[in-house]
Amino acid sequence: MKLELKNLSCGYGRQNVVDGISLEINEGEVIGLLGANGCGKTTLIKTILGLLPPHGGEVLLDGKNIKHWTSAQIARVIGYIPQMHTPPFPFQVLDVVLMGRTAHIKPFASPSSRDVKIAEQALEMLNISYLRNRIYTEISGGERQLVLIARALTQQPKILIMDEPTSSLDFGNQIKVLSHVKQLAGLDLAVLMSCHFPEHAFLYSTRVVLLNEGRILHSGPPAEAITAERLKILYGVEVEIISVRNRLNKELKVCIPSGYQIAEGDLTPAPKSDQIYALA
Amino acid sequence: MIVLILIFILSFVLGRYSVPPGQLLEVLATRVLPLEQRWSDTVETVIFQVRLPRILAAIMIGAALSTAGAAYQGMFKNPLVSPDILGASAGAGFGAALGIYFSFSMIGIQIMAFIGGLAAVALTYGISLRIRHDPMLALVLSGIMIGSLFTAAISGIKYIADPYDKLPAITFWLMGSLASINPQDIYMVVVPIMAGMILLFLLRWRLNVMAMGEEEAQVLGLNTRRLKAVVILCCTLMTAASVSVSGLIGWVGLVIPHLARMIVGPNYQVLLPASILLGGGYLLLVDDLARLLASMEIPLGILTALIGVPFFLYLLLNSKWGWK
Repeated sequence: MKLELKNLSCGYGRQNVVDGISLEINEGEVIGLLGANGCGKTTLIKTILGLLPPHGGEVLLDGKNIKHWTSAQIARVIGYIPQMHTPPFPFQVLDVVLMGRTAHIKPFASPSSRDVKIAEQALEMLNISYLRNRIYTEISGGERQLVLIARALTQQPKILIMDEPTSSLDFGNQIKVLSHVKQLAGLDLAVLMSCHFPEHAFLYSTRVVLLNEGRILHSGPPAEAITAERLKILYGVEVEIISVRNRLNKELKVCIPSGYQIAEGDLTPAPKSDQIYALA
Repeated sequence: MIVLILIFILSFVLGRYSVPPGQLLEVLATRVLPLEQRWSDTVETVIFQVRLPRILAAIMIGAALSTAGAAYQGMFKNPLVSPDILGASAGAGFGAALGIYFSFSMIGIQIMAFIGGLAAVALTYGISLRIRHDPMLALVLSGIMIGSLFTAAISGIKYIADPYDKLPAITFWLMGSLASINPQDIYMVVVPIMAGMILLFLLRWRLNVMAMGEEEAQVLGLNTRRLKAVVILCCTLMTAASVSVSGLIGWVGLVIPHLARMIVGPNYQVLLPASILLGGGYLLLVDDLARLLASMEIPLGILTALIGVPFFLYLLLNSKWGWK
């Protein structure tokens, strides 16, 4: 299935945060959405999910405008993985995963044994079956993120959207989660994920979209799209992009910050102790 | 379940006018079997006109307040709310007091209680959305404020009410009591309470999803606006019906859902039935205490607070399960 944004503008209240974006995402792709804080990543994602009404333009699924779709209709096509969070009630992991079935269940019904089977398969696919009966609020952050991915999979969606799925995860868990994301694209899912680090985009996405002040600065394969100049525009810091070869002689790129000069006027020297006494 | 049945039977037997258990069974059995009357008419009156309505009322009201509390907590994703804290009880109390003041019929009083309760919850929720702080705290705070506003309004009605006739009626009813319940009252409240309870039970899975937060519930495919409206209507209907017969009975709606969650976990598929059973049993037990502890009846509202507050503090200090 194809997700298409046509000249989409959106934001909170009357103000446009995202301005006239056009984008196409096809199955098997992992799109990395890069941009500074406040550039409109989250706003864009919320609009695609139907949480915010678009100010202009369209969100199309296989050519059909989803403006008037019910949330259940959308949830059967688009799965969403939020940033890590802690709900106030200690649900069992299986129950959290089963919540992904909600859009497929009739209003007054509860999940059937078939739904349980689908949820168990999702847990298995992510190698976290051992968490089935644990309490969601008591497992680690990385495990919780994997549970949320499993939940999104039980929606049996065609498109997965993630909002910084690895924020607040440690190094190892970031890599575990992202590897699973890459594996999902192999299931003919289209994945759109916003991310913090350009390096994640190099490693795990098939295409990157650079979002700057609500507009697309550039979009293309990571190796071509992510350049030092563009990162400078996006984040306002100097970055060097260095090619390295790993053990398997595969070329990889890493970003190394090379200079952010703190202007001289910004740093006031600390007052000397006799001056502090004088102030007192 | 078994405990509830035990308390149920015990409640018939205990009381100022004692009825031996054997006799109780006989009297109850005549309703289905043609038995010879071997007991005095007084016994029959005590059982059917006095104790049975009161027992049923205690169970229903306890169950209703607990269910409403459990549902409110999930709906607002906030384990600290209950019908009392959201102001629903005070609002319903104000509506009902107004109904008594204008000498409305039982139905009129119930409708007034429902409108008052709904207005209070709407105000509480509306205000909390505008407070740009911790939403959990905002909801509790605005609920307390709206609650005291309506409590003040109740005092206002008491102040202008006829001191020989209306004032005592309002005052005793407000303290929370099941002493004056009669069979007609039961018929009046059974419909709204059962309706609310059944609807909430049918929505049990959606309540689970809603407890994850409104935005997430919508992304998972729920029509959160409609669901929220239905659940708030159900909870307020149950609260209003309870308040209109029994007055303000506090703490049940906060303590019992927590207790139930500690025992069976937060999944509404089991949490709702557990809240119904525990709530019904708890209020029946407290009502028995209210009847038996002293030579004079103790108002129920006083007892539920005296028992509920220390119990809730205990939960707060010791619970791993309640929340987080």
